[in-house]
Amino acid sequence: MVEDSEVIRVIDSQGNTVELVSVEEWIADIDNFSDSGKGVLVKPADDVGLLQSSLDRIVLIALDFVGFDEGRGYSQAALIRKRWGYKGEIRGINAHLDQLQFMLRSGVNTYELQEQYQGSNEHDYTHGFSICYQVAANNADMKQKF
Amino acid sequence: MYQYNADDTAFLVERVDQFEKQLNRHLAGDLDAAKFRSLRLRNGLYMEIHAHMLRVAIPYGVLNTEQLRALADVADKYDRGFGHFTTRQNIQYNWIELPEIANLLRDLSSVGLHAIQTSGKAMRNITADPFSGLTHDEVEDARPYCELIRRWFNIHPEFSWLPGKFKIAINGAKLDETALQIHDLGLKFVRNEANELGFAVYVGGGLGAAPMVAPEITPFVAIEDIISYLESVFRVYNLKGRRDNIKRLRIKFMVREHGAAEFGRMVDEDWQYGKNDPELKLNMGELEALKADFALPVAPLDLGDFEDTLDFNYSIWKKNNVRAHKLPGYSVVNISLTQLGTAPGDATSDQMRMIADLADKYSHSELRTTKRQNLVFPYVRQDQVYALWQELEKSDLASPHNGTLAHVVACPGGDYCDLAKAVSIPIAQQVQQRFDDMDKLYDIGPININISGCENSCAHHHISDIGLLGLKKKEEEFYQITLAGETLNETAIGRKLGRSIAGSEVVDAIEDIVNIYLDNREEGENFVDVFKRIGIAPFKEKVYG
Repeated sequence: MVEDSEVIRVIDSQGNTVELVSVEEWIADIDNFSDSGKGVLVKPADDVGLLQSSLDRIVLIALDFVGFDEGRGYSQAALIRKRWGYKGEIRGINAHLDQLQFMLRSGVNTYELQEQYQGSNEHDYTHGFSICYQVAANNADMKQKF
Repeated sequence: MYQYNADDTAFLVERVDQFEKQLNRHLAGDLDAAKFRSLRLRNGLYMEIHAHMLRVAIPYGVLNTEQLRALADVADKYDRGFGHFTTRQNIQYNWIELPEIANLLRDLSSVGLHAIQTSGKAMRNITADPFSGLTHDEVEDARPYCELIRRWFNIHPEFSWLPGKFKIAINGAKLDETALQIHDLGLKFVRNEANELGFAVYVGGGLGAAPMVAPEITPFVAIEDIISYLESVFRVYNLKGRRDNIKRLRIKFMVREHGAAEFGRMVDEDWQYGKNDPELKLNMGELEALKADFALPVAPLDLGDFEDTLDFNYSIWKKNNVRAHKLPGYSVVNISLTQLGTAPGDATSDQMRMIADLADKYSHSELRTTKRQNLVFPYVRQDQVYALWQELEKSDLASPHNGTLAHVVACPGGDYCDLAKAVSIPIAQQVQQRFDDMDKLYDIGPININISGCENSCAHHHISDIGLLGLKKKEEEFYQITLAGETLNETAIGRKLGRSIAGSEVVDAIEDIVNIYLDNREEGENFVDVFKRIGIAPFKEKVYG
């Protein structure tokens, strides 16, 4: 994620640079933005329901997991991916190591860890559990017990 | 009861492995204290005054003797030879060394025990009626449902980082032994007009500094829909619950601010999606399998013209400790862990092993734990109760005080807990010393007294006949007294008596309160009945007059 005073950009999983706009900006100027391949940056307090009707025009949705105990991103991801069937990339930004599997199972499919976790063994936390007890947006590779 | 299979055990071990990595990162300086706090609490670990406290779940209060022996072994191997049974069907160890925690948890995982979600901002251990399956007028045995709901919300990817802690109780009996409406969410088994089984759902109860009785948000959710309904409650809370004020995190504040009707509407709005999702229907096949696991291990017994032994001490113990069983020929036996001179709820490893041996011999190797910090033998033959009592007597476990004034419920308090404002255990012991005469206790009859060392209210003082809350005023310990709280028939928060009372005078005040009760009691009345009839004034006048 690159942030300067004006715009926030991410490199998506295909290597393309995607400029992010806020939920308010997206709603206010949806036709212009959706033609120019913009993504949307969702903050924890944002109402993702506002995006539901235009999800197929958003190229990437970035969810902000900056606060360690801030749990709204998991429900935002689950709604966007599982309930509304969004097929594009959901990027978890400002992610924490210990929460990776929770994010990925909720519907996030790519992530950027915070700098403090550089050099960590990510696999321990993306695949710490091999067994799960509930339906989720993504239970790939897990033994499902329900 | 349900026995963990290989997958369940593997899951517990995966959690221990993960927690060990987190602990090691913290000890190596790679995980800061604030983040480690959030992570360790999710696994029941508290940093306390003297050492580290670990809270281990006893899911819905059901324990077998193999597990109880494992808890005793942990007490010896990793603690100082005892454990504290809490008011919420957990056990706590107070003297744990950090580097040993992973080994301790591995030991417990081999018998299906764990510390997952026993604290922190996630769904906690679900509590249930300790007499589930044993009461004749029960609507439904809660235990299989507790197990299904426990599993579903175990390391749930979406709901593990809630605004605050989230406690659930489930009750299938007519009398409420769970204190359902002081929980964040309470499920009460009901039947609708078509006689279908479901749950009435109560949300937003809690004690603490702002006690609240949970309102009903829906009178009926069919059992097959309960998972999707709970998901909607969790989602609404997770997205819209308050996270801005550390004193307003619990769901009760959200319910109070929106009102129960509006909160229920928000849940319904979300539920319109989930209720029709076949993946979110309760797994009825698994429910039937669990019902078989939890089937009572005994059948009705014809004891003919059996007459129990006449013995004065035995009869007093029996009156306070033995309950009727729904099956002819059986009794339910309470073993009080509140012995004179010891901390309420504490059991030594030797006592745990002794109780396990007795449960093997007299109760089909199964026990329950209660919010009054008792252990329960659920299946004792009526013609063996006397023999059991004799063995309990020999081991000093036949305290006849259950339900009396000498059976004080107390949290660990200022002697152990970092949060406490005042001590609990010494006050409990003073009460026990003041009321140690069995004839007097017999005369006073059933009465509850609960002592919490701070507003976190771990000893549930708000819902006791006589509740004490520890406070600190200019370094002195004081106690706020509340009267006539209750949960068994209806739920009511105790009324404040008046200004708080110094620790040195609080037992005198309790005696005054008891005397006003006795002076005014009429035939068949209990403490709450008298309080409702005469009001708070006579108690106030006696204590402060």
